[in-house]
Amino acid sequence: MTIPESHLAQEAIAALVDGELTAGPANRAARHLAGCMQCRLAVEAQREAKEALHESADVAVPGDLMSRLCAIPFTTDVPGSGGSAGTMTAGPGELTVTGASGAWSVDLHPHRRRSTPDHTARWLRRGLAGTLVGLGVGVTALALNLPGAAPVPEREGPVAGPTSPQQHTEVVPPVVRTLTVGTNTVLSRPGGTP
Amino acid sequence: MSDTDALPEAEGWVAPSWEQVVRDHSARVYRLAYRLSGNPQDAEDLTQETFVRVFRSLADFSPGTFEGWLHRITTNLFLDMVRRRQRIRFDALPEDTERLPGTAPSPEQVYADTHLDPQIQAALDALSPEFRVAVVLCDIEGLTYEEIAATLGIKLGTVRSRIHRGRVQLRQALAHLAPRAVVMP
Repeated sequence: MTIPESHLAQEAIAALVDGELTAGPANRAARHLAGCMQCRLAVEAQREAKEALHESADVAVPGDLMSRLCAIPFTTDVPGSGGSAGTMTAGPGELTVTGASGAWSVDLHPHRRRSTPDHTARWLRRGLAGTLVGLGVGVTALALNLPGAAPVPEREGPVAGPTSPQQHTEVVPPVVRTLTVGTNTVLSRPGGTP
Repeated sequence: MSDTDALPEAEGWVAPSWEQVVRDHSARVYRLAYRLSGNPQDAEDLTQETFVRVFRSLADFSPGTFEGWLHRITTNLFLDMVRRRQRIRFDALPEDTERLPGTAPSPEQVYADTHLDPQIQAALDALSPEFRVAVVLCDIEGLTYEEIAATLGIKLGTVRSRIHRGRVQLRQALAHLAPRAVVMP
């Protein structure tokens, strides 16, 4: 067996540790390593660094972040209601986004109510009303029924009324913005506007 | 990772609900964001922004690429954030550009949040962002070189070299932080 004169390339050392070398190069590397202490140390160092990182456990997502993530459909407006964007339709308890290659539904059922306090459900509902205003251009027909609550009123909006205005600005700023668009009267009552 | 009891019964194929998407993927995105940024505040911001982007481009989603898509959004947002801060840093602090501790959490906080050895997170933080991204995607997220190349939009050779150099730096940083932890054979 002859030992190649040149050492392993750095890239080859990383790739070897990650099992990313194809059979030929891997065999050549193995032959070289058998006779080369220097490269063996380099491989070992790569392996140590990899293993140090590898043993990391899962990270728990903070609860309030989780709530904010779940609320994104109600706090974010979707750009480009024209153009190539998909269509949005609403059915009972869900909002479905249909794109070129798939469909998504945004579940409006308050599944998480058991794990979230009541005020969350309330502002979710309110945020929903705001979202509907925001999406008003793109969405043709929205007949939404929130289970366990009165249907979202079309004409007068107590939905946006009774909660604290401070919470309103804090959690759903896009709603405030969409008010300027507002042809819809859902949020036209001053109760929801700080 | 997620509790399944809250899921509606599947009857045929049902479009995934947003909550389901969040439940299924938020832990991975948050972990990646945490490993990259090294602190909970940035990790939360990156995670939030990632999901906002996802929501805004739901219509362009094609099944099968979702996880790669998430990785790509998160890492790009992270690199954008770093570059933005570097610009600010150069403007504000002409002298001390070496390291900016900022609002780094205590080691105890890091461990409580991530269960990742604080020294390892500190060593990760010491890497240049480009190397850190490559190493984290490879060694923590378990992506192949090809997936990393696609995620970052770089060549395979660049992936290899960044991973190699990132690990060399990581090991040096670890040795620096805890000289006894790394023993040469």
